Amino acid sequence: MRKVFLPRDMAELWSAMADEPAARVYAGGTDLLVAMRAGTVVAPALICLERLAELQGVREEGEEIWLGAATTHAALLSNPLVGRHLPLLVQALRTLGSPPIRNMGTIGGNICTASPAGDTLPPLYVLAAEVELQSPGGRRRLPLRDFIAGPGQTRLETGEILTGVRVRKPVDANCHRFEKIGQRQALACCIVSMAALLTVTPAGVVASIRLAWGSVGPTVMEAPAAEAALTGSFMTRENLHRAAVFVRQAVAPIDDIRASAAYRREVAGNLLLRLLPG
Amino acid sequence: MTTRPPKIGRDFLRPDAPAKAAGVEKYAVDHYGENLLWAGVRRAGVPHGLIRRVDAAAARSLPGVRAVLTGGDVPGTNRQGIVHKDQPVLCDAKVRYAGDPVALVLAADRETLRRALALIEVDIAPLPGVFTIDDALNHDAPRLHEDHPGGNALLQATIEAGDGAKALAECDVVVTETFTVPIQAHAFLETENGIARREEDGRIVIIVSTQAPFRDRWEVSHALGLPMDGIRVIAPYLGGGFGGKDGATVQCLLALAAMHADGRWVKMWWDREESFQAGYKRHAARLHYHLGAKADGTLHALHCRVYYDTGAYAHLGGEVMALGMEHAGGPYRIPHTRIEGWCLYTNNPVAGAMRGFGVMQVSFAFESMMDILAARLRLDPLEIRRKNALRVGDRNSAGVLMTSSTGIGACLDAIADHPLWKDRAVWKAAAGPNKRRGVGLAAVFNAMGYGRGLPDTAVAKLEITPTGRFVVYSGVADMGQGNATAFVQIAGAALNQEEGMIDLVQPDTDRTLPSGSAAASRTTYTYGNALIRACQDMRRRILGRASMLLLVDRLEDLGLLPGRVRHPATGREIPLAMLAATLTTPERFCVYQYLMPVVPDPPATGKAFKIGFPHLLFSYGCHLALVEADELTGETTVRDYLAVTEAGRILNPQTSVQQVQGAIAQGIGYALHEDLQVEGGIVQTDDLGKYIIPTALDLPDIRAVFAQAYEETGPFGMKGLGEVASNGPLPAIANALADAGAARIFRSPLTPERVLASLQQGPGM
Amino acid sequence: MTVQFNLNGRRIALDVDPDRRAVDILREELGLTGTKEGCGAGECGACTILVDGVNRLSCLMLAAQLSGREITTIEGLSREGGTHPLPEAFVKHGAVQCGFCTPGMILGAAALLQENPAPTRDEIRRGISGNLCRCTGYQKIVDAVAEAARAIQEGEPSS
Repeated sequence: MRKVFLPRDMAELWSAMADEPAARVYAGGTDLLVAMRAGTVVAPALICLERLAELQGVREEGEEIWLGAATTHAALLSNPLVGRHLPLLVQALRTLGSPPIRNMGTIGGNICTASPAGDTLPPLYVLAAEVELQSPGGRRRLPLRDFIAGPGQTRLETGEILTGVRVRKPVDANCHRFEKIGQRQALACCIVSMAALLTVTPAGVVASIRLAWGSVGPTVMEAPAAEAALTGSFMTRENLHRAAVFVRQAVAPIDDIRASAAYRREVAGNLLLRLLPG
Repeated sequence: MTTRPPKIGRDFLRPDAPAKAAGVEKYAVDHYGENLLWAGVRRAGVPHGLIRRVDAAAARSLPGVRAVLTGGDVPGTNRQGIVHKDQPVLCDAKVRYAGDPVALVLAADRETLRRALALIEVDIAPLPGVFTIDDALNHDAPRLHEDHPGGNALLQATIEAGDGAKALAECDVVVTETFTVPIQAHAFLETENGIARREEDGRIVIIVSTQAPFRDRWEVSHALGLPMDGIRVIAPYLGGGFGGKDGATVQCLLALAAMHADGRWVKMWWDREESFQAGYKRHAARLHYHLGAKADGTLHALHCRVYYDTGAYAHLGGEVMALGMEHAGGPYRIPHTRIEGWCLYTNNPVAGAMRGFGVMQVSFAFESMMDILAARLRLDPLEIRRKNALRVGDRNSAGVLMTSSTGIGACLDAIADHPLWKDRAVWKAAAGPNKRRGVGLAAVFNAMGYGRGLPDTAVAKLEITPTGRFVVYSGVADMGQGNATAFVQIAGAALNQEEGMIDLVQPDTDRTLPSGSAAASRTTYTYGNALIRACQDMRRRILGRASMLLLVDRLEDLGLLPGRVRHPATGREIPLAMLAATLTTPERFCVYQYLMPVVPDPPATGKAFKIGFPHLLFSYGCHLALVEADELTGETTVRDYLAVTEAGRILNPQTSVQQVQGAIAQGIGYALHEDLQVEGGIVQTDDLGKYIIPTALDLPDIRAVFAQAYEETGPFGMKGLGEVASNGPLPAIANALADAGAARIFRSPLTPERVLASLQQGPGM
Repeated sequence: MTVQFNLNGRRIALDVDPDRRAVDILREELGLTGTKEGCGAGECGACTILVDGVNRLSCLMLAAQLSGREITTIEGLSREGGTHPLPEAFVKHGAVQCGFCTPGMILGAAALLQENPAPTRDEIRRGISGNLCRCTGYQKIVDAVAEAARAIQEGEPSS
């Protein structure tokens, strides 16, 4: 039998973590409990964050939106601030798992699992999200792309937890597009996904563009060369095809049971064509 | 609940549905029992090897472990198998696939069981593996069953009709292609499980999720050396079966465990991963086809060679391939055929029965070939099918004379008249940006019953209780297909009684009578035929007793009405409750055995098939799939789907539509997603996140309509329709993708990756 | 530890290991076998329960997490011997075949209708997309949920 802690405030959390330094921390359980069942994670004790009020909810703080780490995907989806300011994240959340998975899983969990297939990660990368980390010794902030160190790896220190995510409102963007290819339309692990955040002038010129791909490398992949090629260009099929070549050079996918590396590379580029208006 | 007697041909709500929807129906898995022991199996984990040692000392010494048993502890033959007894209950010398059981543990709780299983040390000297069809065909390959005379070929067989393959030379056009299909998993939601106990009198009782309780009793008896009457098998409603519970899964293991449990209940419940690793599967296959026709599209000759990967044990592999071969030519008149088959042992999971039993594989091939041929001859794909469709009086591609309802022509006609077909050009032209649309057909058929050599029989048992209620004792399990519903409907209609007066007993070898497996689209036909006759006997018996009580001297002057018998001429009535009270126990029961008719003069071919060839009765279907593919990703979406089915008379439209929609859902999964991947004998897709079955968002609404016919031999004119519709989706969708301008795909499933490549390759032959 | 929660409207206290799965507590300790297990990994939805009215998976919840919650299982969907429009509609529309997914499916649908009382067919499909059914092809389930939604909207007495 293992102890299971349900801290209600930070003091209870730190005390539980002090009592059981090797305890595993989770919120929704949709990743950790599955890994424990598979035997890939062994947890001498468990700390569940679902009742920690400080980690819940969404706040507007000036130019930023704060997302509590233990906020479920479903709560984010129904949150008006998220709906208004972060449509890209909304699109991604709608493809994540299934309704009960979204009722349980949290954004903090999706980040800390650090899977290259994590559905919220490509949008958070293009939104230049920062993570807030806290330990009894203090707090720190880190860009998400620096926090995620590799597949399943983060820079979370021992005794530290992820408390929230900060995203600057993308006020200038006028095109938010996320697309995920899975093996089916729900309960699907990502084969390849793309998040795109663009500002396009009324004349059809790309003023700025941020792109990121899921499941085509050890972490979320970016393609600065493709962004550079498109910035200042018209959104034409030809230009997108040209940029797609850079995308296919930038990604580093692998073969697995779901798809080949070649398919992932091909489609990572092809998804740019979806940005073509009309 | 209806208050009038059920009518044949009208919707009849499933009597099992309310308890299932309320969560109170007890499936096998919902049985626990006081002081329960948990049983589990340690599996080989390696696909082929010789057992050097199984050391269970550490496991045995774990507190809470009741027993650890290995091959040497199995009494009896330690061999199970429906046709060939080649599958150990617990392996004693050799393991032939990674899921082979090498030790059985009984423990006080699940956690102890898990730990004990992990503590067992299994030392297996590996042997080279046979993992592919080509491996198995190699004469130098290691043999899985040294004493099998056919080497790694479980069965090699040929069906020949007319002049055979020679007639290809007489054709104006011959098309030649090779098709490959993967392993499919049943993925029923209730995994393999049961609970067993040795009673005080020494008998073993097993409550198990099974499609064949009577055969289970025989398997357990044989494998463990127990007397048949010392075993009782009870089969509650199943949480899905689809063929995967037609054969021993947990039965012998549980009975063995019960022999070591000192009268305590023992429960075994495979987890999902274990079900994928160790459960039965649909055969992967490779199919080589040469189809020849005259210039006008008249089919003339077919030569095909089919290879089925049957995995480590015989199970029903030979019979599955036999049925595939019998259907290899489609529902068409092909005067000259040669159909050769190899059913091959490999060190892969054991393949066996699954809805569309061998036929789904060949359906992909022959219906793709029909479209390829039509394109070559510049003929309309519907017209070439109509031109060659089987009719009564024709011989099918196995040389069997069609003598009963043969409705493929009517199905094709219904498609031709349907707006989805007539307006297909408009629909295709309306594809959005980056989308391509196509429309595809598939004409399919599926035999009913076991075929010659294996009597397809059922024994109905019907009771009128002393209070005047009726009890139908079903000997055939209901895995969800709705045969229990059909039995209540049939009994109600035949006896003119309200549904509420009829109780149904699910299969129980002590209480119900042997009626075969829930398989082969046979349950309603065979048991229903027996039940109707039992009802007729019951009716005569009731009227006979009423004649005595009402002093009416001709039975035809009496009417059996709901709850009573009436003499219309005088208006006098006697309630059944009063009448039944006067019956002695033997009089209250009617038992009738029905035997399905068979092909009277089988063609002199297919001699290698000992049982199960040929078949007399078939159901038919024609499917139309409207498919959209994405040019950027290869994702394929079925936008609309029409299935026309001929299965004789439709007794219950609602449950018939259920069967068709459900079969198509599994067929669309087979077409687009499902691929049980095995690497070196180890299942890679061993959970429901990796083995992909459709969700509600992956399927369209399916239009299921019927071209009704009347099957003279069927109960109220019906034929079985549980399987036929599963054969259509893969070829219909593959044909639709070709119609959308993709290069034809010969390997399923039609994944986004394959579709994208074929879209980029563009149209071809 | 002692876990206290409300189960189908009744307050209960159980002495159980806190790290046992909620699905095992319901089935083995409380005999509520209407909650099924199909995969143990959140991929099938058969173990769906309502936690404070929200559909969650009892295979991915530990006993400790039940504490203080309002839990509804299929057995508690229809209270005090009444009926609920969802199971009724499932029966009427032929949405039940083997029935093993049905309890989870109905609870998933109940949560959907709480949030969206008048869903379109697409919204119903999305709402039940975490509940796998291997028998029906979902169409009759969608029919049933649509009808139950109408019945609830029209305020049909749950008679």
